[in-house]
Amino acid sequence: MGAAEQAELLGRLPPLPTTVVGSHPVPEWMERLKTDYYRGRMSHAHLLDLHETAIKAALRDQELAGIDIVSDGELRRDNDIDHFLGRMPGVDIPRTSKDFYYDYYEAAVTAPLPAPERDGGPLGLADDFAFTTGQTAHPVKFSFTGPFSLSRRVRNEAYPDSRELVLAIARTLNAEARALAGRGARLLQIDEPFLAGYPDQVRTAVEAVNVVTEGVDVAWALHVCYGNRHARPSWEGHYDFLFPAVLDARVDQLVLEFARKGYADLPAIGKFGWDRAVGLGVIDVKSAEVESPALVAARVRGALDLVPADRLFVNPDCGLRNLTGATARAKLAAMVAGTALVRSELTGTAPPITVGGAPTAQPSRSPREESES
Amino acid sequence: MLVDLRPHSRLNGKPLEFLTSLAAVVEALEEGAEDLGKVRLVCDWVQYKSNFREVVDVRRILSRPGRQPGGDPVVVPLGTRDDALEVAVDLRRTAGAPLRELTGAVLRDRAEGARVPLEDWGPGSRGCIWDFNARYWKDLDLWEKSTGRGYEQALPGGVSDARNRDAARDLISGLFEVWDGLAAAGALPEELYVVELGVGNGGQAKVFLDEFRALDLTHGRDYYRRLHYMMCDYSQHVLDLAREAVAEHLPHISSFALDAVSPCTSLGFLKYKVFLVYISNVYDNLPTDEVAQLGGRTYRVETRAYLDAATAAVLAGPLGTTAAELPALVGRLLRLGPALLAEAAPDRFADVDAAVVFWREVWDALKLEERYVPLAGLDLYRLAPSVSGEALRPLLESGADIRMHVNNGALASFVDSLRLLHPYGRLVCHDLFVTDVHAYRSDFRGPGKYEGSVVNWLNGPLLAHVGRRDGFDVHCAPFAHRGAGNIVTMTAQVRD
Repeated sequence: MGAAEQAELLGRLPPLPTTVVGSHPVPEWMERLKTDYYRGRMSHAHLLDLHETAIKAALRDQELAGIDIVSDGELRRDNDIDHFLGRMPGVDIPRTSKDFYYDYYEAAVTAPLPAPERDGGPLGLADDFAFTTGQTAHPVKFSFTGPFSLSRRVRNEAYPDSRELVLAIARTLNAEARALAGRGARLLQIDEPFLAGYPDQVRTAVEAVNVVTEGVDVAWALHVCYGNRHARPSWEGHYDFLFPAVLDARVDQLVLEFARKGYADLPAIGKFGWDRAVGLGVIDVKSAEVESPALVAARVRGALDLVPADRLFVNPDCGLRNLTGATARAKLAAMVAGTALVRSELTGTAPPITVGGAPTAQPSRSPREESES
Repeated sequence: MLVDLRPHSRLNGKPLEFLTSLAAVVEALEEGAEDLGKVRLVCDWVQYKSNFREVVDVRRILSRPGRQPGGDPVVVPLGTRDDALEVAVDLRRTAGAPLRELTGAVLRDRAEGARVPLEDWGPGSRGCIWDFNARYWKDLDLWEKSTGRGYEQALPGGVSDARNRDAARDLISGLFEVWDGLAAAGALPEELYVVELGVGNGGQAKVFLDEFRALDLTHGRDYYRRLHYMMCDYSQHVLDLAREAVAEHLPHISSFALDAVSPCTSLGFLKYKVFLVYISNVYDNLPTDEVAQLGGRTYRVETRAYLDAATAAVLAGPLGTTAAELPALVGRLLRLGPALLAEAAPDRFADVDAAVVFWREVWDALKLEERYVPLAGLDLYRLAPSVSGEALRPLLESGADIRMHVNNGALASFVDSLRLLHPYGRLVCHDLFVTDVHAYRSDFRGPGKYEGSVVNWLNGPLLAHVGRRDGFDVHCAPFAHRGAGNIVTMTAQVRD
């Protein structure tokens, strides 16, 4: 699918488009196989085939759930860092084996990163994207980890300060983004899962985001959460820290985590004058408890008091990587069903009787959720 | 026949002496109907003077292949041994023991039913010894009155390491360091939570809180004012006593009666908020299965508690009942406790003291039969509510023979407790840990009897692996504030 087709698909989105943040569940058997690869028990060709098969299944899950904008589930990635640093020219990975696939590499930069070729795509992400669009008729969101978070996993022996390293990584990612756009990507997302742990460095992070997006004419999203490593938050805090710096980010959408933390942070968006789109987290990805459609609808309605419908996207808090497949499918189905309820209220049409495929895990409601909804 | 002589240090310099005595066991087996080519002879040094073993035990190794869910046959890998019987000898008690006769008798006893089973076969974690264990903690006061000895007096050194003031100060200093850092970044929450699971008599809580208040005065950050200490225990009665012990700190105390196996059930509101979860000598006392890898196949150890028939008759006689009726009476004891049992069966027990004596005598006499049941697949064996048996794979994948504890209760508690931790929080546990999986091939690691409770060592490598999978560094080190002893400090904190 080319750029024109992707743009045309984005233009046909319904109100309150549903999407995902990125990752899809990694089943236990896949964990074992990926770990086998790092222990020398499986060939690289088999690993690639495993990834492609899993991506097709992830796309099918999202389509059956009724997700409007799908992703490849980030199933080629072992975590939020290594897929990028491992391929980045100039980044040393002294030890490439792992005890477990999800472990982080120890990465180092001992000399300044080579200047990337314009439109070069040194990380090969455009090939990843092209494979995904070849497997689905839905619009595709493609995400990659941002320069600030990548820099936090690099031992810097080349630059006088960490800001220089962040900007160098950003330049590489800019070349990658150009390559992605050249292959038809129309919705790109920068993930900054480490930023909440360094609230005093938001300006540097935003400066780097603008280097990444420079000259790349696509819809840009910026995802900032409190971490999802092993289904745990890595940080605690309040989204106030993003403002006002994030207002300078040349992105079109902020994708934020709310379902786990509650919605007390949401008014910050209006308070500081964010006038672009918001990706509203309505699904807690750190809990196996499946939200009800009514709860999702209540959360969306609550957000509509602060953000107009034409600027609101509906998504989980973060990636679904740490959930079981059954739970993730049920959560996505609930998210789609809940969003459909609000859509029908907005458009004055009857809500759909069935939404997506049949979930394989039953939604359940806790007393707390009953009271929320 | 495969002979497995576990190389306990007590055998240094004299393994041949022991091997010679084992010839008597082999002779007894030859006299029986067993195919010696399918027998394993396993020799342990069972260090617990009070335990669940005979000098010679016999364990059947079942071979039924079974079916997978959906009907597919269970695959038995090529090259696995098809042993049928394990004979287990306690080397500590072999000196002077008539091993030939004992082995012959135990083989005959199995055939003739000369034992009084107290339950059906089942996984070790579901055996009635855990009901005894729970009863002991519920009625600790009655047991201590009857024995004239307090639980803590029976500990090595007569005092729990949990009351060690240096250890408490180390913990508190670590907390202050983390809190100072978070405060500097403007990320320190107003409320600072500490959870203790298994608070017992409140001794550790008092030491911790006294030291905390004193160190905070010196430190000058007013952390004591913000501190919330959550005391948790299985028994409300114990909690009430513990509250008395920490009376001067009560404004900072909340107490919760909860099952240590699932702390989030009551403490879910503290998810990701707790800076310290402290557990001392609780995990070794929670239900556990054992698994074994034998000859290339993986088994779960099933157990069945029994009383020797002659002992059962001795116990039953004075109560005016029969050995055959004892299992039902023991069941009532475990359900009701000795006080209510004495009320409910005045014809058998003159008073509560008599019921406690019965309880202690049954416990002293109680033994465990064991057998090995093949696992259809690791994925089909759930270790804890959120932990699949796949977590055992790294420990078993060498294929070498091993038998080890799963510590299902401890594992469940550990995983659930990790959910409580703040991103900068720590779990600290003092207990008996096996820190290297190979240690299961040398020393016996339980179960043993400790007063009226059960003791098992903890499978440190398994806990470490499961913690690692959840993103935690898990570190074990000898308890730093006592010169000798077996207590290990396990610490878990977020890795990346």
